Amino acid sequence: HPWETVTTAAMQKYPNPMNPSVVGVDVLQRHVDAGGKLHSHRLLSTEWGIPAIVKSLIGTCRTKTYIQEHSVVDPVEKTMELKSSNISFTNLVSVDERLVYKPHPQEPDKTVLTQEAIISVKGVSLSSYLEGLMANTISSNAKKGREALEWVINRLNAEIEEFAASARGTMRNPMAAAAFVEK
Amino acid sequence: MNSVGEACTELKREYDQCFNRWFAEKFLKGESAGDPCGQLFKRYQLCVQKAIKEKDIPIEGLEFMGPSKGKTESSS
Repeated sequence: HPWETVTTAAMQKYPNPMNPSVVGVDVLQRHVDAGGKLHSHRLLSTEWGIPAIVKSLIGTCRTKTYIQEHSVVDPVEKTMELKSSNISFTNLVSVDERLVYKPHPQEPDKTVLTQEAIISVKGVSLSSYLEGLMANTISSNAKKGREALEWVINRLNAEIEEFAASARGTMRNPMAAAAFVEK
Repeated sequence: MNSVGEACTELKREYDQCFNRWFAEKFLKGESAGDPCGQLFKRYQLCVQKAIKEKDIPIEGLEFMGPSKGKTESSS
């Protein structure tokens, strides 16, 4: 999909069925800087099933994790960069992610996503099992992320079509109906 | 999508609608001058800030509502 489509979808990524644990999104701050780039700071609230073993280590019944996300959209250079890190009441495991969306250099109708994640475990030395679990989750989340955007893009397209169809509906013209179905 | 503060969800929706339209129709096409959503954003922001304080969410290094530096309050 072209970069503009992907960027628009990324700004409206939640809710989507691939990320059911994201329960809240808020914009904390937003401004356009002197270079024309849009900076947004957002807070994401997530609820995910924390395994009992982690709960017993953490010793808390708070299950919400918050993620702080800073995104920069440059409409001239056509780049979108997202940096996010989780903030939680325990600060035991922190995950920093960086995503960059750019138009594909050879195929302008496509977008390239580069994604990296840094997992840090502080304090208690957690078993490598848990670290492995997080790494797997992150790489499957990367795939989910692409699927999620695909879902949002389809939804946005469906909304546009619905709007166009209802606008055409007032004409009651069989030609228009055929054109819409033919796609 | 809900807001972190339950009371803010409606304000958030109004602002989001305004922003998403501006973003796709103006900003990405290079017309970033003029933000039609400023008022909606301010109202939504006030609500969110209150909710964050109430829930004690530790947000680092952010200045809310524009450049107001040097206003760090170490309360409680």
